[in-house]
Amino acid sequence: MNSNTARAAVGAVVVVVAIVLLIVLKSGGSDTNATTKGVTTIVIKNGEPVGGIAQLTYNKGEEVRFKVDSDVSDEVHMHGYDIMKDVKAGGSVNFDFPATIEGVFEAELEGRKEQILELTVNP
Amino acid sequence: MSSLLPIAHALVARKDLPVPAWLFAWGASIVLIVSFFALSVGWRTPRFEKDRWRPLAAGLSRALIALPAQIFYGALGVFLPGLAIYAGLRGTEAPDRNFALTFLYVTTWLGFPLFSIFLGDVFRPFNPWRAVGRVVGGGFRALAGQRPAHLRYPERLGRWPAAIGLLAVVWLEIVYGASGGVAVGLEPHVAAVAALVYTGYTLTMMALFGVEQWCRTGEVFSVYFGMFGKLGCFGVKDGRLGVRRPLSAATKWATVPGSAAVVVASIASTSFDGAQEGAFKGALESTFNRLVDAGVGLTSALRLTDTLFMVLCFFGVALVYLIGVRGMAGVPGAPSFKKLRTGFAHTLIPIAFAYLVAHYFSLFVFQEQAQFTYLLSDPLGTGTTDIFGTASSGIDFRLLGANAIWYVQVGALVVGHVIGLTLAHDRATAYWGDYRQATRSQYWMLAVMVAFTCFGLYLLSVANA
Repeated sequence: MNSNTARAAVGAVVVVVAIVLLIVLKSGGSDTNATTKGVTTIVIKNGEPVGGIAQLTYNKGEEVRFKVDSDVSDEVHMHGYDIMKDVKAGGSVNFDFPATIEGVFEAELEGRKEQILELTVNP
Repeated sequence: MSSLLPIAHALVARKDLPVPAWLFAWGASIVLIVSFFALSVGWRTPRFEKDRWRPLAAGLSRALIALPAQIFYGALGVFLPGLAIYAGLRGTEAPDRNFALTFLYVTTWLGFPLFSIFLGDVFRPFNPWRAVGRVVGGGFRALAGQRPAHLRYPERLGRWPAAIGLLAVVWLEIVYGASGGVAVGLEPHVAAVAALVYTGYTLTMMALFGVEQWCRTGEVFSVYFGMFGKLGCFGVKDGRLGVRRPLSAATKWATVPGSAAVVVASIASTSFDGAQEGAFKGALESTFNRLVDAGVGLTSALRLTDTLFMVLCFFGVALVYLIGVRGMAGVPGAPSFKKLRTGFAHTLIPIAFAYLVAHYFSLFVFQEQAQFTYLLSDPLGTGTTDIFGTASSGIDFRLLGANAIWYVQVGALVVGHVIGLTLAHDRATAYWGDYRQATRSQYWMLAVMVAFTCFGLYLLSVANA
């Protein structure tokens, strides 16, 4: 029993190490900090983003640029950076600001509380 | 591009970046190395089991905890939550502009564990329900000329009401705050109503079982904050404030039944909140979709899914702990399974705190800026008051870089792990007379702690990814 216990404990540790390695290797493989350049357009249809919530990734210091084409009138709120811009039904609005704050942020249609963008700023 | 399941968080404007793979690897490696090191240098006689308590100077003790001070703490303890409830009922429904949510769920819910872990049970003097209960009890004694008669608290129930209450408090914030399939976050008026309902419930229970009895076993905030306070270095004994050896008071904390459930509930609820932003995202989404396909409404489906996974977290965490306990019970010379189950529960308190730091550190730093500026000046969030002239301030999200947050997160998990191991080793030397068997039993607790710490690191590495 004693040696079994010790063996079980060693086994548990080995399993943990294996999992850790697996995760590290896996995430190492997919470590693509795909930085989005140029201007992305988020199209809003019936008050919802077409194709789901847009995802943009930048490094700190780069210029965040995106455009919102909307078929509804609302206010676009870029959280964290706290930028608010109105958009009219059938109109569009441009966002252009430097990525100065690291983290993950939401932009949403404020009136509808509908998230349209997830902005990631890496250090 | 993927459609993301909304997460009901009312206050988080800046979410943490996932911990990068290299830091995750370092963190996990350090945890393993530290653990093996701990096994080899262990001390042979318990160091934390005995009370070592030195009284502070009588004058200082009196100034800090005599009746006038108690009245002051109690009054403040009633006033501030009262203000939060008022703001919740009368103020704006924008969660981030209303005093209620930040005060209840950030300043109180996260602030008291932080101060308690260093100082001791600082919530007790500020506990609003205890203050009201004591005043009412005192009034009754003065009028009736006798102590109020109480029911006998069923000992077997122990701290289970607090454990379930703890899950309910977290559930309200991160699960309930959804409507129409959109995560709008918990609305301030809902939080205020919940606080009022909880007040009614708590005062009733205090009337039935007595104020101190209910605070010891049933009142969620007393039990939860008090648990962290057991690690802190100040304690009151016979009406005198004194300094004690840090961690030592924790060794007697879990003697009340159901204590293990409290600490498990804490780890589980934080895990769930962390996992819904990453590790569980896919599973939550598919469960949600399945429920919607089965004809369940969007809001119900969202709440049902989250509730289900939160409960699963509770059983998952409990299972890991119980496997460790079961393993220890097989080591020669072990006490009963039951004794071990309660006997090692306190060793998880540092892990529970580490989880809190890992998941809420940045939220706390950001939201406290709001708490002490515009939320104090304009508690209702309606722009009608500017009491301290800070109503137009904002949160400076540049205050913390991603790197600083990562190091604090990983550092907290590693330190929590080490303290957990320390307490577990100490308890083992007390339970097993034979040092070698004590060490053998600790392979099991070591596996349990490595599992929790690495799971915590894993959650961070996939959060918001």
